[in-house]
Amino acid sequence: MDFELPRLSRREFLSKSSIGAGLVLGTPSILKAKAPGATGDDIRVGFIGCGKQHEVLFNAMVNITGIRYVAACDIMKARVGRTFSAIKSRFDYNINRYLSAEEMLEKEDLDAVFVSTPDFWHAPHTVMALEAGCHVYCEKMMSNTIEGARSMVAAMDRTGKLCQIGHQRRSNPRYQFVLNELIQKENVCGQIINLNGQWNRALSSSQDIVSKPSILPEAEILREYGFNAGADHTLNLEELRHRFLNWRFYTDLSGGPISDLGAHQIDIFNWFLGTQPKSVMASGGRSYFKDREHFDNVMCIFEYETPLGSARAFYQVLTTTSSGGGYYETFMGTDGTIEMSEREAYTNIYKESGADSTKWDELVRRGLLKKESAGVAAGGTDAIASYESAPPDKYALPGGLSKQPHTPHVENFYGAIRGVTKLTCDARHALESEAPIYWVNPAANSHEIINFTEEHLHT
Amino acid sequence: MSSNDKCSNDLGLTLGMLTLRIWLGLRAIQTGIEKFAGSGKPIDSAVLMDGAPNTYGLTESTSAKVYAISNYNGVPTPLYDKFINEPLIPEFALNIYNVVLGPALIILGLTLLLGIATRFSLFLMGLVYTSLTFGLILIKQDAGIAWLGVHIVMIVIALALAKHNRFAILKKW
Repeated sequence: MDFELPRLSRREFLSKSSIGAGLVLGTPSILKAKAPGATGDDIRVGFIGCGKQHEVLFNAMVNITGIRYVAACDIMKARVGRTFSAIKSRFDYNINRYLSAEEMLEKEDLDAVFVSTPDFWHAPHTVMALEAGCHVYCEKMMSNTIEGARSMVAAMDRTGKLCQIGHQRRSNPRYQFVLNELIQKENVCGQIINLNGQWNRALSSSQDIVSKPSILPEAEILREYGFNAGADHTLNLEELRHRFLNWRFYTDLSGGPISDLGAHQIDIFNWFLGTQPKSVMASGGRSYFKDREHFDNVMCIFEYETPLGSARAFYQVLTTTSSGGGYYETFMGTDGTIEMSEREAYTNIYKESGADSTKWDELVRRGLLKKESAGVAAGGTDAIASYESAPPDKYALPGGLSKQPHTPHVENFYGAIRGVTKLTCDARHALESEAPIYWVNPAANSHEIINFTEEHLHT
Repeated sequence: MSSNDKCSNDLGLTLGMLTLRIWLGLRAIQTGIEKFAGSGKPIDSAVLMDGAPNTYGLTESTSAKVYAISNYNGVPTPLYDKFINEPLIPEFALNIYNVVLGPALIILGLTLLLGIATRFSLFLMGLVYTSLTFGLILIKQDAGIAWLGVHIVMIVIALALAKHNRFAILKKW
């Protein structure tokens, strides 16, 4: 009798064998990766987009084992060459280089693809890669339009592939610890009534990006890839190249500073509060960079309804001033304040003078907090006692992250591919969090409060 | 001038030259060696909560500075990234310079310290500092240019004192 063994592709085998192993043995240790160059259970990875953010991601994953880098593409040849060299020098093998994502996806057998292209290419590239059968890690903001972001969620659902969005704080142990232990379990903040976040960036860090003309793509390529989108005249080579390098300044190519920088932190507001805001009001201006299409400074207020009552979150993104503490997200409650940041240096915790000292001392004794200093009154002859609140005591998190900030998020993605964990920020959850952000610029443009409906926020 | 005065002047100039050789030599050697410096593998220990290692992965980390060939970085990355976009610095030349700079500083520092072809060592060291100055001019780092200028002045003084060079292995050149 003839019979045929079921045929499994290598990609299917990787997924099914990992899930099976996880179920049987309940431990990821059996999934120990082979050395680079091995073909068994290595995850075969490709890169779409090889610019600065790609470098950040690549540097965050170079120490993760069980990965085989296979191919990279970018419309700028020099960037693909740089990725090729980085992999060659680090791992001593060659990857295939492409100038077109379509060609790479068609020719290569990839398990996972990292998309770090300009925002307006996130959705097309992600959908393309998902439909080619790859799991996708796409940088935030999901897209420059909410429709683009929704198409990514739809493609994830349609293909059944994983789609992780690069809100890397969601996998950061420091953030997970603060949310799960300090806020939810120990309720150190009490009722959170106000949130405050910012990303203040210096003028010197907000200048136009320039590069050697000889290594930049030609006009024909840039037009083909849509860098002329929204232009009211035929762009010359210099204008196209400016858009290519500085796509974040253009409304048809990106969401501007509120999505470039604000998306990370407004995501934390929504994640920690466990809900979406009810409304947004905003103000923005081209106060310094008058020739840029996007606002250079934006301030906005989101209103929330939480189980404990209403809360308001203020967020500002400045591209002209760095002072004021850099970037952080602050949760201000009746008992305490947690000032979180991806940077440990900007992270602080404060106990209100009226909060239960015994409880906080106990948290220190158990190792959940470190006490830094007792509150010190500012003093001075200008202090009027009746106006002053007692100064809060200062605390710190008990530990930090000993990896690069993006590493846990990439590890989470690979772990999900192997079936040993769940994504911390799949496209649907990312969009639930990102959706309100798409309405900040319209609110600032119209000077009107936008009260969110299902129409605004659905995924 | 009495012979005692002349002798004490010569001694002063000899010691002055020696001091310059030691300073410039150590400066170059250690600058070259620092290009091989990096952080050692961090020793991470899990933070204890309720007497047990926490499950989140929060760690307390300590790491020591280590030197290794694999750490080598001739031109620091932030500067490299700026130079690569300078039209007057071809990429291939920058890559060669990146490889050569560290070893060149160490070799020139050693030859100067040991007194091997002191005058040529000083001259070549002057060229190295001039090349660094050229890069800094392009990216408008005026403080660095002034700092390298001080080095050049010291090299010129050492060359002027070369006839008082003693304690040298190879006095020729």
